[in-house]
Amino acid sequence: MSRLRISRSLIVLGVTLSALAFAGPAQSQTPKSGGTLNIMLREDLAQGFAIHESSTISTVFPSSPCFNNLVYFDPFKPVESTDTLIGDLAEKWSWQDNYRNLVFFLRKNVKWHDGKPFTSKDVKFTFDMLREGPDAPAKLRINPRKDWYANVEAVEAPDPYTVAFRLKRPQPSLLSLLATGYTPIYAAHIPPANYRTTCVGTGPYKVKEWRKGEYLDYVKNPDYFVKGRPYLDALHYVVIVERGTRTAALQAGQLDAAFPGETTKAAAEQLKKAVPQLVITPVGASVTDNIILNTKKPPFDNLKVRLAVSYAIDRRGLIQAVHQGAGVPGAAMAPRPYGVWGMAEKDLLTLPGYGKPAEMKDKARKLLAEAGITPQHPLRVEMVTRAIAVYVDMASFVINELKQVGIEATLKQIETAQWHAMATRGEYQIGANLTGLGVDDPDANLYENFACGSPRNYSAYCDEHVTKLIDQQSQELDPKKRLALVIAIQKKIEEDAARPLLDHRIDYFTVWPHVKNLIPHHNIFNFARMQEVWSDK
Amino acid sequence: MKTYVVQRLLIALLTLLGMSMVIFVLLRLAPGDIVDILFSTAGYVSPSEKQAIMKELGMDRPYWVQYLDWLHQIVTGDLGKSYRYDQPAWQIIRPLVPVTLELAALSMIFAVLIGVPTGVVSAVRQDTTLDYALRVFSLAGLSMPAFWLGMVIILSLVSWFAWIPPLTYVSPMKDWKLHAIQFLLPALAVGYRSSALIMRITRSSLLEVMREDYIRTAWAKGQTGRIVIWRHALKNALLPVVTVIGIEFAFLIGGLVVTETVFNLPGVARFLVQAILWRDYPVVQNLVMFIAIVVILSNLLVDMLYGVLDPRVRYGG
Repeated sequence: MSRLRISRSLIVLGVTLSALAFAGPAQSQTPKSGGTLNIMLREDLAQGFAIHESSTISTVFPSSPCFNNLVYFDPFKPVESTDTLIGDLAEKWSWQDNYRNLVFFLRKNVKWHDGKPFTSKDVKFTFDMLREGPDAPAKLRINPRKDWYANVEAVEAPDPYTVAFRLKRPQPSLLSLLATGYTPIYAAHIPPANYRTTCVGTGPYKVKEWRKGEYLDYVKNPDYFVKGRPYLDALHYVVIVERGTRTAALQAGQLDAAFPGETTKAAAEQLKKAVPQLVITPVGASVTDNIILNTKKPPFDNLKVRLAVSYAIDRRGLIQAVHQGAGVPGAAMAPRPYGVWGMAEKDLLTLPGYGKPAEMKDKARKLLAEAGITPQHPLRVEMVTRAIAVYVDMASFVINELKQVGIEATLKQIETAQWHAMATRGEYQIGANLTGLGVDDPDANLYENFACGSPRNYSAYCDEHVTKLIDQQSQELDPKKRLALVIAIQKKIEEDAARPLLDHRIDYFTVWPHVKNLIPHHNIFNFARMQEVWSDK
Repeated sequence: MKTYVVQRLLIALLTLLGMSMVIFVLLRLAPGDIVDILFSTAGYVSPSEKQAIMKELGMDRPYWVQYLDWLHQIVTGDLGKSYRYDQPAWQIIRPLVPVTLELAALSMIFAVLIGVPTGVVSAVRQDTTLDYALRVFSLAGLSMPAFWLGMVIILSLVSWFAWIPPLTYVSPMKDWKLHAIQFLLPALAVGYRSSALIMRITRSSLLEVMREDYIRTAWAKGQTGRIVIWRHALKNALLPVVTVIGIEFAFLIGGLVVTETVFNLPGVARFLVQAILWRDYPVVQNLVMFIAIVVILSNLLVDMLYGVLDPRVRYGG
């Protein structure tokens, strides 16, 4: 067994053991109704409840209880896939015409929070708006996930309780895209801009009060279409900007649940020591550390130089040094057990940068020498990163790794306000980046980050063959064949050093033991509905 | 006196006008704007969508038009709309103001109640063990940043008592005891630093006055220590102390950022930082103007107090 395999096994074993160490009591009691859950927010709602105009967990997490999707990932199953989908506003659905039509049959007893009935018009309104079709009834001021619906030719509402998505070609992933926290249904009778300040949804909770920068209060929706749900009377989200205060509030019991993606391993260990009964669950944070390389400008238009960067970075060293072990190596898709599309260990071993660090660095030096970069003529570059601690820590580690192979990088911190604009315009040479993935799905990830012309393909990597493969996997109906294609794509983009993946982060999601059925998923965006959550206080 | 106050207020208006220009220009010199931030939360940038939002928010207009528009809004009492929250800025700012004013006032009360008596004792007991102890106490206060002290207080409370003060604002109408607890600890953390400064100024000022001839005369006439110190010496030593209190109060308003953040108090200072990070110009501009007004008014109040404390001070017409 190679060193990587042993090492990765040890990491997975470590995370599993810590899961066992942190795990709380089994949740098999009979649910009780009533009570209020106090939940942490690390910042105010970024754009109110306008999930469709935002790409941050700071919007999705606190807004989700207000909404419903057509389908949703089963809140009881941490690993998400098309096999874990359940109906939400759709009672059932059916693929027709060899996966070219997706037909949803909607629930009939659903009301919006303002009392108006929910119908297929609302679904059509939402998706026509999202895909910006020619007859779109409204326009979002920012539409970050328009590309998710590029394959939707039309959305039809033949009757009030049936909706059909007509696709240009088969796309089995569409269901997963519809199931994320990023895909709630908006009301057709509410202007989309209104969601920036208030929320009219169909969800289990209705907004009671949003005190800007302070808290968000929900109350139970008495007309909720699932009888007996939700269990809780109210949700109280508290904005606490200071990390130390957030942790203290959780420890003191002023908060019942942490914010997803917020609890580091060190914080989890400190909390567990102080309050042993806390339930801490290590889960995939759906965030990757990666290196963006400007493939349109020298020196990183040269494959050898890009590969040298990838070979130079010791992934396992980074996980230990920067994340204290709270991460796992992997390529573009999250590895098992955090996802279902990741590369197996044996495949990872063949990729640049995943072998023994010394050997990998030798290869990096050799590649650099072939590109004319030697200790006498070192490569001097400017590494950009976002001026936030989690980015800077990772960038500092990478700079040190690059120095060991003869690349002298200086760090330039970019203000958050400038970061995406700079990356999109390609005004950089090399950058240390974090990428959040809304759903563990190849279509969402590969098109967004690696397809030619995507605005979030910051490396501007463009390989026609890879784009064809992405299209091919997207319409492949056989799951095994599709997985093989996805793995081949991941291998190819790592071999092209398109955007070298360094690790997938682990979150130590923390709740008090009286919080039941708040089961964190291996994706922070998709378990915030709170419909099944109850309090045993 | 009336003429003096009117003159000062007129000067204050000019100062505020100058301030408004500085605030406006500095904000726009900072890299990025609200539209960049919005796209930052979306993870991409689209030039056409960006242009549309700039137009929607009125940010595509020339700077001088935006500036005059803001001045017009101030004069008419309409503070514009928050870019981030799409709501009138005043609606957002209004609940924050009393929190910050209360915290600053409480901190100042603590600072004065601790600083003046310890300064007097330290001066009267000059070069004794008590004096050294009080000077160490004050030096510690000056050396400890308020936010650090605040965090130590929070961490100590949670470690020792598994308890911390409430983290959402508790109205005194709802529960005055909890309200008091919520404000006392941060006020103490902030007030300690200011008390240290006040103590040192009180001590040095009092020591200087105590060497004056009229104090020696008072002692010679057989006055009691209490009368000599509190009636004759302290009153004359208070002028620099009052100046420091005025400066400190103004400084406090702007300096509460971290303390409000650590104790999660929904005040002006904490909100201001968030508004700056979001480049929410209408909110930032108006909050900074509010702080400027408080600073100017507190300085005016201090100047007027001089006359009360020292009858020799006369206000020019």
